Amino acid sequence: MHDSESQDIETATTVLESQPDSKTRRYDRQLRLWAASGQRALENSRVLLLSGSATSASILKNLVLPGIGHFTILDDSLVTPRDAGNNFFLEGDSSIGKPRAEEVVRLLLELNDQVEGKADLRNVKNVVEEDPEYIKSFTLVIAHNLDLELLRKLSNLLWGSETDPALMVVSSAGFMAEFSIQFYEHCVMESHSDAVPSLRMDKPFSSLLEYTDGLDFQSMDPTDHSHLPYVVILVRALQTWKQSHDGSPPKSYAEKQEFKQHVLDMRLKLDEENFEEAEAQAYRCAIATTVPSEISSLFSHPALSAPLTPTSPPFFLLLAALKKFTEQPPHVLPLTSTLPDMRADTKNYIHLQKLYKKQADDEKTAFKGYLKEVLGGEEGVVEDAMVDTFVKNVHQLKILKGKKWGALDKEKTLLAQELSNAPNHASTHLAMSALLHYHAQSPDTDPTLEQLRTVAHSLVGQDVQLPEEFDVVAGEIARTPTAELPNTAAFLGGMVAQEAIKMITKQYVPITGYCVIDLVETSTAIVG
Amino acid sequence: MSSHESTEQNGSASHDWPDRYHHIDQVLDKPGPRTDPGFAPGAEVKTFLRDTCKILVIGAGGLGCEILANLALTGFKDIHVIDMDTIDISNLNRQFLFRPKDVGNPKAIVAADYIMKRVPGVVVTPYYGKIQDKDDDYYLQFNLVICGLDSVEARRWINATLVNLVDPENPESLKPLIDGGTEGFKGQSRVILPTVTSCYECSLDMLNKPTAFPICTIANTPRLPEHCIEWASVLEWPKVHGEKKMDTDDPEHIGWLYSVAAARAKEFKIEGVTWSLTQGVVKNIIPAIASTNAIIAASCCNEAFKIATSSAAYLNNYFMLIGTDGVYSFTFEHERRPECPVCGGESVDISISREWTVERLIEMLVEKQDIQIKKPSLSTPDKQIYLQAPPQLEAATRPNLEKKVSDLVPEGGEITITASSLPFSLSLKIQYR
Ligand SMILES: [Zn+2]
Repeated sequence: MHDSESQDIETATTVLESQPDSKTRRYDRQLRLWAASGQRALENSRVLLLSGSATSASILKNLVLPGIGHFTILDDSLVTPRDAGNNFFLEGDSSIGKPRAEEVVRLLLELNDQVEGKADLRNVKNVVEEDPEYIKSFTLVIAHNLDLELLRKLSNLLWGSETDPALMVVSSAGFMAEFSIQFYEHCVMESHSDAVPSLRMDKPFSSLLEYTDGLDFQSMDPTDHSHLPYVVILVRALQTWKQSHDGSPPKSYAEKQEFKQHVLDMRLKLDEENFEEAEAQAYRCAIATTVPSEISSLFSHPALSAPLTPTSPPFFLLLAALKKFTEQPPHVLPLTSTLPDMRADTKNYIHLQKLYKKQADDEKTAFKGYLKEVLGGEEGVVEDAMVDTFVKNVHQLKILKGKKWGALDKEKTLLAQELSNAPNHASTHLAMSALLHYHAQSPDTDPTLEQLRTVAHSLVGQDVQLPEEFDVVAGEIARTPTAELPNTAAFLGGMVAQEAIKMITKQYVPITGYCVIDLVETSTAIVG
Repeated sequence: MSSHESTEQNGSASHDWPDRYHHIDQVLDKPGPRTDPGFAPGAEVKTFLRDTCKILVIGAGGLGCEILANLALTGFKDIHVIDMDTIDISNLNRQFLFRPKDVGNPKAIVAADYIMKRVPGVVVTPYYGKIQDKDDDYYLQFNLVICGLDSVEARRWINATLVNLVDPENPESLKPLIDGGTEGFKGQSRVILPTVTSCYECSLDMLNKPTAFPICTIANTPRLPEHCIEWASVLEWPKVHGEKKMDTDDPEHIGWLYSVAAARAKEFKIEGVTWSLTQGVVKNIIPAIASTNAIIAASCCNEAFKIATSSAAYLNNYFMLIGTDGVYSFTFEHERRPECPVCGGESVDISISREWTVERLIEMLVEKQDIQIKKPSLSTPDKQIYLQAPPQLEAATRPNLEKKVSDLVPEGGEITITASSLPFSLSLKIQYR
């Protein structure tokens, strides 16, 4: 067996590991979420923070602890008495007057000696204008409470090509906040979704069929009968059902109920729990195993109609191979090698597990053949480990389409629609946008609610009536237009770091649109 | 208003440099649209927050470290913290007040020292021990309690203790309890006003049921690596080591379990027994990351701040977060349960078979999602049915375990359930079906 995930039985059980090293022990609780592959991605990442605010420091804290490779804080300001009061990564009044980036970097680095951190004391505006390649050299760029003009420049700069780093834009005012991620497209193999892969009970592969056919349900020992795995029971049940139904599986509700009874009628004794389990799983037989529409829809991605070469993104090479694979009968996704637990004796279960593994391996080999075809005969372009990950998670692949930062605010109709769909949350976004635009016009002054309304109207259109919720959230923003509350900073610190980790590891599913946060009613929502 | 004014009014606030609370003061100097009309902005609320308010933090772990830092920055200056644990290397990926050199030292003490060193003028009083060590008078001294615990038992205890503390004659005796919890990318925070809102016990049925493997599977038909590990820890350990207690923090013990489980796995041709899985199964490890803890702790502290200052409406009463697929959250009012044994008082109606033995009934009490009482003692108004302790009473009542409940309790009769770990009793009204 060549699967790196499932070591062969000899090595797995005779060569005992010793206690894991201290790094593995330190990261144990997170490795259980994103495994060594996610950890490697984190350790190879370089994150740039624009500003050393309390919020930025909180975000970084939650990236330094799990062990990103490198971070830089770009900030030319000196610590003010206000900063010293709300940022945990400053040493109170003794930090006042010192370069903010240096202080924050120094104290963040105490959290994890595996992480590299740098303070860059240049002016953000100058760097964006004069050293764009520097900014593009990072994996991810995060900006907190930057002004509108600078954000526009930054977002233009990082919207040049698909390989530019993603940009996370974070803004907060008192109890209110929002953030979004600018990216073209984000492909996820390991979305960790709840989607359950098919066991192909309706289209049994030959070795499974052979095994089932070889079992004599009627004359076997009653103990063995009560330990038959539900997969075997259902393959048989569907076979016999089809024989008496012109080869069709159960279709209508009534037929499905009948099929369940058919399964129960196969019992030798009333207390055979494996048959009860089979009855509970019977619905899975009625769903024909095909390529799920969420997956087949990915095949229409433009990348697949353009010529693919060894330098194309591996995800699309793999997707093209998958398309070829599914075009062949039986028109299904490659088989999963993981069999769920079920009532069975050890012998039957382990045998069944072997059949699934062998078939999954064979299909992976076939898949690799198609990959080779995609690459015009070239081999070894995509790492085996990545092929394994792709095939293992093939039922839960995702391609997220992103937007340029600020796109929503340019689409009046869409914005108005959001306001009528979710007046409360869309108002939070609109009010945060209004604050940003207000400060662009009148820096260093605080807006009134009325002024925020005026700016909001200019964004959404004069003819659109603002919902009453707008006054509530904009009123809250007008109360504290420049307050960076420690709890809001900490909340954002967690949220933004979480999404950054998803972007970097390409595991789990990051947000698209704006995540708006209201810490008076304590709610979050996605807008746009 | 400049915060300088309030600094001068606060005699004890010698550490408050001018503008220290510039950000916080923006919400303390002015109400917002959702601020209670009773809120009086200005000096008084600042003095209360910074000089008077006394807050208790239970747990100095993943949530606790975050909670302490947030409270200190928001201006709480008299903070107490209780934790019975010492620092382990696996804490360092999120419990950011601890360093490798602190491994083995008490969390409460190290965390308190760190906060006091970092945030001038804040006093954190640690207690390295159990919450059960403290009496009512201790808990009565606080204005608020924030809980960042991973133990259900401990939460049930503090919840019941704070509910019992409420004296309708004395409004001061009602201590708001803010509870947070996380698991991987998921978490929740909630505000409990004992006797007023739903309490922790009211929502017991929302807990995930831990995966339990049937003993016959473990003994006879293992299929998963987990079954082999359970076999090693549940069956083989006591057989080989007798009375010696298994210490899941001892690498030698884990190593022994791992090798025994691996040998069994080999015998049955089962793949996948690893050191990490062995540890995960026997310690019931729950994945934990800094970011989720940061979100939930921030939410808890934000509620504490709003309740302490009345500067904005507070959460009513439950915030649930799932961060795996985008960001999904749900804010709702969890309803009180009239038959909640802690805050409801109505007896719970249960219907059982006339054939059930006392032992079977006890099994149900342990398992039933909204009861979950480990080691329950049972009695009726006129007799003891089964007592877990003291030993002589346990021995005296043990024969009842075999008896039918219907022979001991009449139709419609009440059974009172108690457990030494829980400071409340549950009354069951028995119906036979
Ligand atoms: Zn209750």
